[in-house]
Amino acid sequence: MSPRSLRQFRALLVKDLRLELRTRDTAIAMLLFSVISMVIFQFAVGTRTEETTPFAGGILWATIALTAVLGVSRVYVPEREQRVLDGLLIAPVPRMVLMTSKAVAIVLYLLAVEIIAVPLVGIFFVEGSFAQDLPLILLTCLLANTGIGILGSLFASMALFSRAREVVLPVLFLPSLLPVVIAAAGATHSVFGVSNDMAEYRGFSLFLAVYAVIFGLVAYATYPFVFDD
Amino acid sequence: MDGVHVALASGESLVVLGPNGAGKTTLLRMLATLLRPDEGSLALLGHDCPEHADRARGAIGYLGHDPLVYLDLTAWQNLELFADLYGLDDPRTRIVDGLDAVGLLPRAYDPARTFSRGMVQRLGLARMLLHDPDLLLLDEPYAGLDARGRALLDEVLAAERAGRATVMVTHDVERGVAAADRALVLRAGRPVLSEPVTDVDPAAFRARYEDLVR
Repeated sequence: MSPRSLRQFRALLVKDLRLELRTRDTAIAMLLFSVISMVIFQFAVGTRTEETTPFAGGILWATIALTAVLGVSRVYVPEREQRVLDGLLIAPVPRMVLMTSKAVAIVLYLLAVEIIAVPLVGIFFVEGSFAQDLPLILLTCLLANTGIGILGSLFASMALFSRAREVVLPVLFLPSLLPVVIAAAGATHSVFGVSNDMAEYRGFSLFLAVYAVIFGLVAYATYPFVFDD
Repeated sequence: MDGVHVALASGESLVVLGPNGAGKTTLLRMLATLLRPDEGSLALLGHDCPEHADRARGAIGYLGHDPLVYLDLTAWQNLELFADLYGLDDPRTRIVDGLDAVGLLPRAYDPARTFSRGMVQRLGLARMLLHDPDLLLLDEPYAGLDARGRALLDEVLAAERAGRATVMVTHDVERGVAAADRALVLRAGRPVLSEPVTDVDPAAFRARYEDLVR
């Protein structure tokens, strides 16, 4: 990224964070959604027993995937509602920079949710101590969020010009997230609670990294055409 | 759009007129690189578009129906954002000058949401002029402005027009013709008149215009 693009990227990201801090529309909605989902899961599968521990990773990442749909569907809301998109598209900003800023915003919103959701899933479902597992789960979150952010930014931009975007976005986005959910749940499961299978963790983490790289390349090739064609 | 030929030199201004659905905004959005023409050629500021639209964009200033500013950001934050997007040197001075020119400097740190419609449009004007564009594209810039806002917009545009090419789309025939060197009248996407209007009486032109679009 050139210094000029870096300046544009920083400006767009700061703008998104400023808008979010002022309105608190997206991150709060995502956080509430994830907490409510986990409470529902808790009633459905039970609380903190030996039986619930293996489900903790799956519950966490199913919740994060659904929360991501909410976040991704709202990522262009300021541009849409305040009708500013044309202003960004007329500016000499490479489309890649525009969408990378949105991808990073999604990653940060998800991270804000996960800071609450990961300990909560541990408290609700994992028997025994899990504090020592949090650094590895944080790494899983960062890898998974990168893939979700790239894909989310791409689909959100594609859905922007669709009349039925509320339907199109989840229908396209959720199935594409399935590999991330499987790998992130696997990675989380392999280290959460009493489990400590580092070989399995490394395998799933490598898969998440490869997923992010592949969709990063797909996005790089696709971004210029999303807005201009 | 069909059969539209527009050539505009630096310092010239064109007013685009026509009834609703004539294609005025479509033409302007093509010039703003927001729409790709299916056929024909488009060169903006020496760059063939859409192939090299990214090179032309830095020299285009666009003010549409919407002022293209974030209502939840302050006036300063809005201009700061666009200064960064356009890669401007010394953004602080430019922002101060821009806000001062449209009379919004005392409200620089207020969210645009607290502004009246006219003030938001003036902020949009400051945004459009911030990067000193060579081509000004104005789509109904007077919409929603009161008499004072219109006068201020006229004043700022008159001061800023020198050395730039300007294309204005408007339903205000007399005001548009009075401010332009050439007029293009569209009907159903086709040009029905394209001629100089520098020595034309705006009121007389309006009568002709009514006949053309009837």
